Amino acid sequence: MSKFFSALLALLIAGGAYAQERFPGIGRPATRAEVQAWDIDVRPDFQGLPRGKGTVAQGEEIWEAKCASCHGTFGEANHTFSPIVGGTTARDMETGRVANLRRQDYPQRTTFMKAPSVATLYDYIRRAMPWTNPKSLSDDEVYAVLAYMLNLADIVPAEFELNERTIRDVQNRMPNRNGMTTDHAMWPGRGFGTERNKPDTRGPACMTDCRLEARIASSLPDHARNAHGNLLLQNRVIGPVRGVPTAPGDFDFDDAETGPMLLARESGCLACHGVAQKIVGPGFAEVALRYRNQDVAEALAGRVRQGAQGVWGNVPMPPQPDLKDDEIRALVGWILAGAPEK
Amino acid sequence: MTSPMRIRANVRDGVVDVRVLMAHEMETGQRVENGRPVPAWFINEVVATHNGKTVMTAQWGPAVSKNPYLQFRFRGGAAGEKIAIKWTDNRGESRTDEATIA
Repeated sequence: MSKFFSALLALLIAGGAYAQERFPGIGRPATRAEVQAWDIDVRPDFQGLPRGKGTVAQGEEIWEAKCASCHGTFGEANHTFSPIVGGTTARDMETGRVANLRRQDYPQRTTFMKAPSVATLYDYIRRAMPWTNPKSLSDDEVYAVLAYMLNLADIVPAEFELNERTIRDVQNRMPNRNGMTTDHAMWPGRGFGTERNKPDTRGPACMTDCRLEARIASSLPDHARNAHGNLLLQNRVIGPVRGVPTAPGDFDFDDAETGPMLLARESGCLACHGVAQKIVGPGFAEVALRYRNQDVAEALAGRVRQGAQGVWGNVPMPPQPDLKDDEIRALVGWILAGAPEK
Repeated sequence: MTSPMRIRANVRDGVVDVRVLMAHEMETGQRVENGRPVPAWFINEVVATHNGKTVMTAQWGPAVSKNPYLQFRFRGGAAGEKIAIKWTDNRGESRTDEATIA
């Protein structure tokens, strides 16, 4: 158990005890398993990095199946997200500073131009990818995918195996490893809190005669709130983060979560498709409008199952092998019916 | 010295999907650096061969981006066979790389 983890556990247990003392009958200490499931961060100094291994070749298979549809076969794609690979040179790997970052005319910044720490890439892939199914990759799969990305960026050779030891050598080849500064005093590090490097913003804590309630100085008039449609339905919803409902009247998201709507949410459809509007994929209402009075249920079911690209633009729909056939039929029927809330 | 292309070729239902990432500066000849025009330097021909038979040729100009990405499909390939890509640029330099169809 890491030192951080022990300290955290102690804190949570103490916190739980404190809560029970002050608010009897409310809450309970988090269990060790709960904390463990939550505590997955990998830090730039590799603290929290799990053991495991993966090769470039293994990573290529996973990449083709789960990553390439958005990031491109070579990590070069620019249609869904900004590119992962490109813009770095062998010279950058020696100096640890990416020369193209200092150019005003360089068209774009890729992930490998910016990322100073390989551990952060591991952490990010493990917690956030694939987009439609975060945290679904095993630790070894994350090593493999990262090995493949490092190979695409010419940081490691094609026969490389990435594991909890070799990843430390990779850090010494990261193109922008010396490109991160903490001198702006906005982040703990060198220069933090020194007189010379004060942040250029001021946020003094009020200690006397403080206002007890926030005063709203201005707000959008009611008729303008809905100018861009209901923002709640246009947000990519992952976890408890939800957009602000701007449609007139009350909209209770939980009320809408029954039947196909619930299935669509749990299957990750709503990560890319809005109900009314396009997010990165077309809105369900748009799909229903295009195919109204046409017998396309089977064809659409096939596209959901196997993925598709080109009908609604360049952004690909990834294949959905985890959905059962009757689930797909239910979803497609519901979408073609205009995706009603209930 | 030129860098190798990255090539992936997959066959599905008899159709081979080939994706290629080339490493090339692709200078348009329109750009000025330190007050001097940078001479044009770009790939002007790409040829793809499968078992010695040409399956695709492309004539390119300076409008194609730096480090170009190319994707094309052809019928008649099978897994385990080779696909070769060759580019030639306006300086007469060329490079050929090969990949196995998966």
